[in-house]
Formats: sequence, C-alpha cells, structure tokens
Amino acid sequence: MRSTSFCLRKMPALHWGPLVCAVLGLLAAASPALAHRLVVFAYAEGRTIHTESKFVPDTPVRGGQVQVLDRQTGAVLLTGTTDEQGKFSFTIPDEAAARKMDLRIVVEAGMGHQGEWLLKAERYLPGLKPAGAAPPPAAPSAAEPPGAKAATLDQKMLEEALTRILERQLTPMREMLAEMSVRRTSLPDIIGGLGYIMGIFGLWAYFQSRGKKNP
Amino acid sequence: MHISEGVLSPAVLAGGAALAVVGTAIGLKKMDNAAIPRVALLSAAFFVASLIHVPVGPVGLHLVLNGLMGLLVGWPAVPAILIALLLQALLFQFGGLTVLGVNTVVMAAPAVICFWLFRPLLRRPGAPAAVGAFACGAVAILLSGLLVAAALLTTGQAFLQVARLVVLAHIPVMLVEGVITLFIFFFLQKVRPEMLEGIYA
Repeated sequence: MRSTSFCLRKMPALHWGPLVCAVLGLLAAASPALAHRLVVFAYAEGRTIHTESKFVPDTPVRGGQVQVLDRQTGAVLLTGTTDEQGKFSFTIPDEAAARKMDLRIVVEAGMGHQGEWLLKAERYLPGLKPAGAAPPPAAPSAAEPPGAKAATLDQKMLEEALTRILERQLTPMREMLAEMSVRRTSLPDIIGGLGYIMGIFGLWAYFQSRGKKNP
Repeated sequence: MHISEGVLSPAVLAGGAALAVVGTAIGLKKMDNAAIPRVALLSAAFFVASLIHVPVGPVGLHLVLNGLMGLLVGWPAVPAILIALLLQALLFQFGGLTVLGVNTVVMAAPAVICFWLFRPLLRRPGAPAAVGAFACGAVAILLSGLLVAAALLTTGQAFLQVARLVVLAHIPVMLVEGVITLFIFFFLQKVRPEMLEGIYA
C-alpha cells in the first residue's frame, strides 16, 4: 500500500518486459509432459510375458526394478531389471500357470516412483494351451475311429499356427491400447484445478469475513 | 518430488498425515484475511508449476516453486500446498490420496523453513536480499529432496544413496527455481511491495 503507486509510476514497462519474457519462455519449454508418473503395461505372447514401463508421456524407465508377485499371497515370483527401452520380459513361471495366479507386476524406479500392472490369469493362460494339454475339443476323441485322430492333430497344428499369427498381429494393437490407457492431463483438468483452488480459498475467505462481522 | 502410492509403510503415511494436519492448522491460524488472495494465487501457481517440464536429467523434472511460496507467505504455504497437491492427486494422478500427508510435508516443510531461514537476509537491501531470494528457491528444493530420501528410509532404501540420487537429479531444478525466486522477489519488490509484507512484518 505504502509506496506501491509511487513505485509503479517510477518503474513503468521496464520490469514487466523481462517477466513476460520469462513466463513465455517457461510456457514454451512446458510440454504437456508429466515426467514422473510411472506406467507399466504387460501382455503375454505364448509362454513369455512382456512388460513395458515408462514415465508419462514417453520416457522409458531405464534400470527399474521389476517384481512379479502373486496377487493373492503377495509372494514374489521373480524379479528383474528393465532395459534401455524400459522393457523386461520373462517366461511364465510354472507355478503361476498351474495355480492360475493373477500377476501383480510392480516396477520401482527409485526416488519414490512406482507403478504397477495387474495381469489377470485369463489374459496369459490361453497362450499357454498349445504347449500344455490337448485343447478341450479333442477330449471326446477316444471313442472315435483312427481317421479322426489325424484330423484332430491337424486341427491342433492349425490352431497353433493361428495363435502365432494372431499374436504377431495383435502386438501392435496391444501397444496402441497401452498407449491409450495412459490418462493424459488435459487442459480442462488444469483449468478445473485452478477453479477449485479459487473456489476453496473464496469459501474460506467468505467464512472468515462472516466470522469477523458478528462475533 | 511426489512419492507414489504404495511405496511407503502405513506408519510413515500416518506420521506424514499427522504432521500435515498440524502444519495446516498453524497455517490457517496465521493466515489473516488480507493474505487469503495471495495464498490462493500461490496455491494456483504451485498447482500449475508441476506441469512445467524441465527437460534435464534421466527422468525429466518439473518446477515445484515451494521456496517462492515460503518466501511470500510463510506458514500459510502449508494449506496452500495441501490443496494444490490434493487437486494434483485427483486430476493428474500425481502422488496419491494416501501419500497426500507425506507429500505435503515433503514440499511444505522446506517452504516454511526457508521462510524463517532467509528472512533476515531478505530484509536487507541489495546483494544480501538477492542471495537470500536465490537461496530460498534453491534450498527449498534441496530440503525437499532430503525429505523424500528420509521418507523412503523406512522402505529399506539406504538414505545416503537415495539422497544423493534425488539431490543430484534436482540440481538443475534448484538452479532454475533459485533464479525464478530471485527474479520474482525483485519484481514484486519494485512493482507490488505489499505482496512481500510477510517478510517485513
């Protein structure tokens, strides 16, 4: 209050210039990047589970500590480290497949950054089938003539081949899904947040002013 | 600086929440009516600052502005940071609701500490004030880094190792924030000195 108007007159546009420049510069440097939210994505391909970890929007987590846990018991099944692209792959542990475990994949990148992905058993078990027992349709084959046996064998091979092809075709789709499942900050989020802040402090000011008036 | 959900133990989370509640109470008590718009403005600035990306280092970092906040408002920085962090957790998924208390302490405690630490310097004109303003911005980040390391201590991570990592990673942010705080301090001193009355009071 005291010397404001005086200073304002004395220091005209001179000091607004640099500030405006600085603010514009910062806004220019500002990308919609949220550099430290860690997202993990995992999918199965045959007997292998691939995981990909990155900081939103697109910085791979290098050297992150990966832990694969059984969701129910919390037991650690295996651990590993992400590579330069933030990727880490592992073969599905036999016990996980046998007990149909839901896998919790936790990636920790130090400094308090952590992300996780839940891979449900039904998402990775189908890929295992060809290597495991015969598929269910082949079960009633025991009573059939020998000719049908060759047919089921053919069918099995066909199924295997199809699975492989589908896996290959689906991988880019999966990556696209992973990309889309990351929730990005939007302008409405930012503006909404600013509005909330003004509202909360406005409310506080309102109650303060009422309290002062009638004590 | 935001610690993710699911990293810390319940004891640390509870401790952080308790400290945050106490700090918020003190901050609200110390915030007189005239200061409310100023605190609101800084809360908004803090809320948005996290979106300003400093493209350095392995992870990429963002501004925090807690030093500037402490410099301008002192104790009321705690409720201001609490509200900004709550909205960041809800809207941006930064940190999380359970870690809100710890994250508030990590960022608000340095703001208040720097306010008391550098107030004597800031009151003096010329070079000491400049040093004080720069240090206020830089030291607040440094202290936040150390607090992050301290919070992670209970998860079994070695304090010195984490502290070194966090502090090294934040050196660019410390410099940037020091310069920004210095710049805004002098700008306000000339254009809006009444915004700085917390320092001279």
